[in-house]
Amino acid sequence: MSDPFVCDDKDTLIAYLYDEIDPVVRRRVEEHLRVCAACTAEVTALSSVRVELASWTAPEVELDFQFVRKSAAVWRPAAWWSGIPVWAQAAAAIFVLAVSAAIANVQVRSGTDGLVVSTGWMAPASAAPAAVAVPDEVAHVAADEAWKPALAALETQLRNEIRSGRDNGTNLVRASARTADDATLKNIELMIEASERRQRQEMALRLTQFNRDVNMQRQADLVKIDQIIGQYAATSGAELAQQRRTLNYLTRVSNPQQ
Amino acid sequence: MVATDEELVARSMAGDAESFNQLVLRWERPIYALAYRVIGRDEDARDVCQETFLRAFRALPGFKGQAKFSSWLYRIALNLCRDWIRRKKRTPLVEMPEGVDIAELAAEQGPVESIEDLVSRHEMSGIVAEGMKLLPDEQRTAIVLKEYHGLTFQEIAELQGCPLSTVKTRLYQGLSVLRRHLESRGMTSLHNGRAS
Repeated sequence: MSDPFVCDDKDTLIAYLYDEIDPVVRRRVEEHLRVCAACTAEVTALSSVRVELASWTAPEVELDFQFVRKSAAVWRPAAWWSGIPVWAQAAAAIFVLAVSAAIANVQVRSGTDGLVVSTGWMAPASAAPAAVAVPDEVAHVAADEAWKPALAALETQLRNEIRSGRDNGTNLVRASARTADDATLKNIELMIEASERRQRQEMALRLTQFNRDVNMQRQADLVKIDQIIGQYAATSGAELAQQRRTLNYLTRVSNPQQ
Repeated sequence: MVATDEELVARSMAGDAESFNQLVLRWERPIYALAYRVIGRDEDARDVCQETFLRAFRALPGFKGQAKFSSWLYRIALNLCRDWIRRKKRTPLVEMPEGVDIAELAAEQGPVESIEDLVSRHEMSGIVAEGMKLLPDEQRTAIVLKEYHGLTFQEIAELQGCPLSTVKTRLYQGLSVLRRHLESRGMTSLHNGRAS
């Protein structure tokens, strides 16, 4: 601090200019300025620049930023998805429906009877293998060769059984077999009913959730749109007021006698 | 009694949104003016201002009070301005705000300032804005923080992440460029070394 001021020391001159300087150094600068015309001119010119800088003002704008807590009515159960694009949300929704349909084994066919929608438990037992066995013509041709010997063997076996049944007259065996078939059928029907009930509940639950999410999102969007419209309305009002003030002034200026 | 920034920050951190709104109300003008003078566009300055408060609100739990709240806000705003300039890859365009006309200004000023003075001030404002456009980002930011926000050399050094002497050099160089610009535009008082 006791060092003498070196002529044209820019840093010290700036510190002096902004009055952010040690009092001792300030006195040294002032002593120097009394004898140095160049430094005096420099400080004076920079001071003038500072005065002119004051004329540059930022525009007077309406800002009015407000932080508003979200009310319970605008609660979003899945706020994390707000950042996901709409197309991705739609794709996710389709995926959920597709998985649900797969769980329920929903099949949609277009045939002579028109569009037929059926679920796994509604379809006849023979329908599923048939659907799998006929993917295309090539498979058809290959299958032709494969099942012919098996069919022939089955035919032979059936003929033998029918023949032996006639020969022995074993009606009791047939009745017992029918009883066993009925019990199995009944069990299968019960299982299908239980499965159907479960699938229906699952589907209803998913659809309800999906519907609720869509409603929540819609509600939030409506609030947002309402806010944006409000902002636009406020801006338009401010512009109108400004135009009115200008018009009033121009009227006053153009009629100075009034 | 008016609550201090620190008190309002403490209440905001406790979940009082209204206290944060008071901080916004208190600081939105300075932050907007800072952004406007650094990047020079009204709409973008508004965006930067809004984003500054959004970021501050989100980062509030992490604000430990090592710096003044205003310095913290200035830092966020300057980072956003820097990002904006980098993203746009263009020199900040300092322009006069749209919709400002002399007639309206005169009507607001009333009899205190004559129309001649007003026109002169308006012209000078435009010339200063042009001069600021010529400055490199660091010099312009240093001058804005010093001249219009009254920050100390130390505060500017912390915000700009540079030594104190660098701040002084930036200020000196920036003022010298502005001086030459004003002289070239006929500000003879500067040329003659006469303070106005």
